[in-house]
Amino acid sequence: MGLESAKLSIFLIVFWLSNGARCNSVEQKIYVLLNNTIPCVRLLNATHQIGCQSSISGDTGVIHVLEAESDLDWVLSSGPNPPYMVMMDAHLFNRTTMIRLKGSLRVAGVAVVIPKSGPSTGFSPHNTCPNEGSGVYSDSYGPDLAGCNGTVWNPLGNGLSYEDFNFPIFSLKEDNETEVIRKCFREHNVGLNGSTPQYPLCAMQLFSHMHAVTNTATCMRRNDIQTSFSISPEIVCDALSDYNVWGSIVPLNNTEKGHKENQSVVIAAARLDGRSFFWDIAPAGEGSITGFVTLLAAAQALSAVTPPTRNILYAFFQGEAFDYIGSSRMVYDMEKGKFVIDLENIHSILEIGQVGLRTDSKLWLHSDPISRKNSTVNSEVLKLVNYLKSEAPKLNISLDEPGVTQALPPSSFQRFLRARPIPGVVLTDHQSAFSNRYYESLYDNAEYLNVTYPPNLSPEEQLEYVTDTAKALAELATVVARSLYRQAEGEESQLAKIIADPKIVTQMLYGFLIQTNNSWFQALMSPEGQKILGATTPPQYYVGVPVSGNPVNTPTRLVQYILANLTGTPANLTQTECQNPEGVEGESKELYSYFWVQGPDYSSHDYSTWTESRWKKISARIFLVASRELEMLTLGVGVAVLLVSLLLTYFISSKADLLFSASREPASAAY
Amino acid sequence: MNLERVPNEEKLNLCRKYYLGGFAFLPFLWLVNVVWFFREAFMKPTYTEQLQIKTYVKRSALGLLLWVAVLTTWITIFQHFRAQWGEVADYLSFTIPLGIP
Repeated sequence: MGLESAKLSIFLIVFWLSNGARCNSVEQKIYVLLNNTIPCVRLLNATHQIGCQSSISGDTGVIHVLEAESDLDWVLSSGPNPPYMVMMDAHLFNRTTMIRLKGSLRVAGVAVVIPKSGPSTGFSPHNTCPNEGSGVYSDSYGPDLAGCNGTVWNPLGNGLSYEDFNFPIFSLKEDNETEVIRKCFREHNVGLNGSTPQYPLCAMQLFSHMHAVTNTATCMRRNDIQTSFSISPEIVCDALSDYNVWGSIVPLNNTEKGHKENQSVVIAAARLDGRSFFWDIAPAGEGSITGFVTLLAAAQALSAVTPPTRNILYAFFQGEAFDYIGSSRMVYDMEKGKFVIDLENIHSILEIGQVGLRTDSKLWLHSDPISRKNSTVNSEVLKLVNYLKSEAPKLNISLDEPGVTQALPPSSFQRFLRARPIPGVVLTDHQSAFSNRYYESLYDNAEYLNVTYPPNLSPEEQLEYVTDTAKALAELATVVARSLYRQAEGEESQLAKIIADPKIVTQMLYGFLIQTNNSWFQALMSPEGQKILGATTPPQYYVGVPVSGNPVNTPTRLVQYILANLTGTPANLTQTECQNPEGVEGESKELYSYFWVQGPDYSSHDYSTWTESRWKKISARIFLVASRELEMLTLGVGVAVLLVSLLLTYFISSKADLLFSASREPASAAY
Repeated sequence: MNLERVPNEEKLNLCRKYYLGGFAFLPFLWLVNVVWFFREAFMKPTYTEQLQIKTYVKRSALGLLLWVAVLTTWITIFQHFRAQWGEVADYLSFTIPLGIP
């Protein structure tokens, strides 16, 4: 009885101790977890892997804060405690530094502190010739224009986004956490008067182990093997995928796919996505938002007048940063007769590119010199250019064409041209190289677009405040809408009625660039849809992979709702009818799925093959490390104690008769 | 089972069973046979069945060595060239390691 209760109480004490340890655990005492971090992850295409990865148990290194490029020598050669975890400010995050670090075995990882606005010299981690492999220009089509031979579109591009790093790279925000890290560095890792620092040193550990490897063909094959043979299948990568959004002025019969008799459609297009070096952080302000907001505003302006003779189809393409995923899928479906119209139905295309940073109210109309050698295409292009040019001066905008031999800038239109010579124009704010100094980077944000508000405005007031950027985009949207209307052979008398509303533009800019969860967006969304609004931050425009529970990207969903609201007519429907609009005529605002894979050809060079690796754990933490000698000493002492105790136990048990029975035996003898 | 308490005929019988069983691609039976009957075969004072047991143990050891050699060679080759073989190696693998070629 006594023994039982003793056992029980020991058990309880142990249980209580282990529980208590969880509340105030050793782990918490050792590690400081970093919460505001964003990793760089691995992406793969037909031939390459890009991005970063850590080892499976995380990479640890002694922190070294880079102040200047000359500090690199400490990390790469002279520092006594490799490997180092390099913490740097954004101005050092450039190609020369990163390539030097990449070549060294003394680097455990990199943490970049990201400020709010970008360096004034510009920064673009993208390459200099975006999507060069999947555009229209190739050896067989304008060979002298292929590979940005004539014009380098993104001269600031340093190509870091397309490098493969074998160490983790995380971004940190400039906040308390980085201050804690800096303090830890100053206190422990800086030797007094330039002497070598003494242990314990401040270290950082980054976890971003990626499952996929080599290329898309490899990871897709492993997915297949895992799902068909393994008991616990482990998917290693997912295709980048989301949805295009399209809608037309006059409803198209969506149940009948393929060629439509007597349909001639003008396509007005813009792209929806962007990217940056780091995962799921892509503000895409100038890169995409200016374009699609202009197009949405134009669509709204056009909904006020009687429909033109030709139909107008608004198309918003997703995944264009990754070899034109969205547009190539639409073209593919048009070719195969799986879309509501086919390529023959297309009259012409007007694409709106980056339009937010115009200098001296000047914008540029790009067209393809190769297809314009064909006189019918040329005359249609000229017509469209003339419409745009004649509408622009009414709103104090001047439009011009760059030289006749200049290639098209990277644009969805190129994918249509790959299929056939369709007349079309791409409207942008740059004559040759991008005016965007932060193309596909995390500084392409509201601040860069000058979407700023006077101080002391509440969020509601900011939503209503018409910024200069919004005014400028609204004027442009009016020009676009009127030109589209004339291109679609609408009545000239209606033109004056087509005016884009700067207030709606400013609301859209606020929602897309500053804060998604605002009253205007809430009013547009259904109660279920409002769930995606969530945060008080802008959405991210990286195309990403479908997440269970939220299969459609937030920006895609938002654009769909806004397009439906701005162009639709109020329907006299009950709630249930409205939620099941299949039987109702005139509902043509559709999401349009586009998974890039066309078949089991994962090494295609015609279509996008981008995939994103999966991972289990992404986290970052800092802690103090002891010297290797001290660690080894501790381990050695531990092992020694274990051995000694084993020996002791052996001796005691072998001599148990002598040690324990001796005192009792005399007693029994006395009996 | 304690071999000390088993009659000699029974020992021989057991040893034979393990030896024969090993031919069914079960090299571990040979391993067990070698370890278990090593003393019986080589250390104990002579008895009638010992000669036979000795032969079985020797042959089991030989088979085991052969298996070890073959398996070691194959595993070395496979691990060395797995990444290089790509598709073929993936289909030969039961578990595919994550994050390495």
